[in-house]
Amino acid sequence: MSQAEAILMGLRVWGGIGAVVAAAFLTIGIDRIDADARGAYVFRPLLIPAVLVIWPLVLWRWYLYETGRVHWHGRYDPPRRSHYLVGWLLPIGICALIVTGLLQRQSWPADVAPVQLSIPTEAVE
Amino acid sequence: MSVKYVPVQWNPNKYLYDAVMLTGVGLFLYVFLYAAPGLLSHERPINQQIHNARAFGACAFVMLTVILCIGPLARLDTRFLPLLYNRRHFGVMTVFVALTHAGYVVDWYFAFSRWNKFEAVLFANTSYGQLAGFPFEAFGIFALFTLILLAVTSHDFWLKFLGPPLWKALHYMIYPAYLSLVAHVSLGILLDQQNHVFTAIFAGCAGTVGGLHLLAALKERRIDRTRSGGKGGWVHVCDVSEMRDGFAKVKLLASGERVAVYLNDGALSAISNACAHQNGPLGEGRIIDCLVTCPWHGFQYDVTNGRSPAPFTEKVPTYNLRLDGTSVLVHARPNAPGTYVEPVPLPGTAPETEAMA
Repeated sequence: MSQAEAILMGLRVWGGIGAVVAAAFLTIGIDRIDADARGAYVFRPLLIPAVLVIWPLVLWRWYLYETGRVHWHGRYDPPRRSHYLVGWLLPIGICALIVTGLLQRQSWPADVAPVQLSIPTEAVE
Repeated sequence: MSVKYVPVQWNPNKYLYDAVMLTGVGLFLYVFLYAAPGLLSHERPINQQIHNARAFGACAFVMLTVILCIGPLARLDTRFLPLLYNRRHFGVMTVFVALTHAGYVVDWYFAFSRWNKFEAVLFANTSYGQLAGFPFEAFGIFALFTLILLAVTSHDFWLKFLGPPLWKALHYMIYPAYLSLVAHVSLGILLDQQNHVFTAIFAGCAGTVGGLHLLAALKERRIDRTRSGGKGGWVHVCDVSEMRDGFAKVKLLASGERVAVYLNDGALSAISNACAHQNGPLGEGRIIDCLVTCPWHGFQYDVTNGRSPAPFTEKVPTYNLRLDGTSVLVHARPNAPGTYVEPVPLPGTAPETEAMA
């Protein structure tokens, strides 16, 4: 099995487990942990894609709700302090990436001689 | 707001917002595909499939750029706050545009692959050890998966289920996704551009996002310095003369939490500055009939008990207040969400109920 095949197989297995979790959570769990969801069914199919992707997080939060370990303090602590860090990292990262891209151009600011980067596929085969 | 969940909450403002957004997307694609091919070097012979892929890719990049500009713009100038209102629809639409771009690319370039075309995307170029010819597709795949993750978790249920801080932390992945998208373009199409108009537009868009975030961060840091208070116990907020009826003073506590202290009908009340919905800044909202409205999405709370009016069920923590002469003091320890706290009347005023009695 190639690495690419393994990655795709991993994604399929991840999604398969997610489908099982989605079936259990959206039919049993959601009614137990959220009063606003009781009697509301039309919106539930919209939640399926998210459960397929973040099912470990869903299981963990479901467990916390079931065991009463979700503390209200944690709901009012937005990560706004990270704005300052993001405010610096984003422009620095953007500049670095654009400059890197421009430096790799072979036709700017002036044309340069072509460089063979790797062995042609035909030669490998 | 809460009560019962519905698939999508619509109202006339959201219809208008989405109509403007969809018109913008249609207009962008039309201009890119038919009105300005010369400007963007598309006079070189490329087939319609590649042209479409580029149009949708460029559109997704511009949409994400606009989305990321809205946040810092709203922090810099409150007149941009209405744009925040329905940003999640904008984000979901961006995912569909980005998926269309990916679909055109995969269906064209890997159509005759001997292997599964999605596998072929992963191993067509594995030159990860060099910058020139780096497999820029990997950056695009990461950005696309991240956008999908954010879109599928955008329903209000996920906000409540995960809690605003965790939900927000998850949605902070929009920043690495954007950087990844910049890398996808910089090490991809940018290397092949003969016409510098595209380069200038791309750098201008990305630079605007970076610049606005830096400006907003610096402004917020400056404001936080003037708001920060001492550790534990009672913390000075301001002098009573600085309070304006119907508005709040925001205090940053040593714990990192922000408290909004309101003057309402001559009496003081304090609640958390973080809205229960998306932790929007309640202190920037104005009180009408004892209810403060979050400037981000319109959630309302009674400032005396931190509860949304019935039938809604959202609650935020409240804080105890007292006066020391003309100094307004808040206790750093929050009360449980929804706890009623008797408003503290200012000297020389009496609450309406007492005056009437």
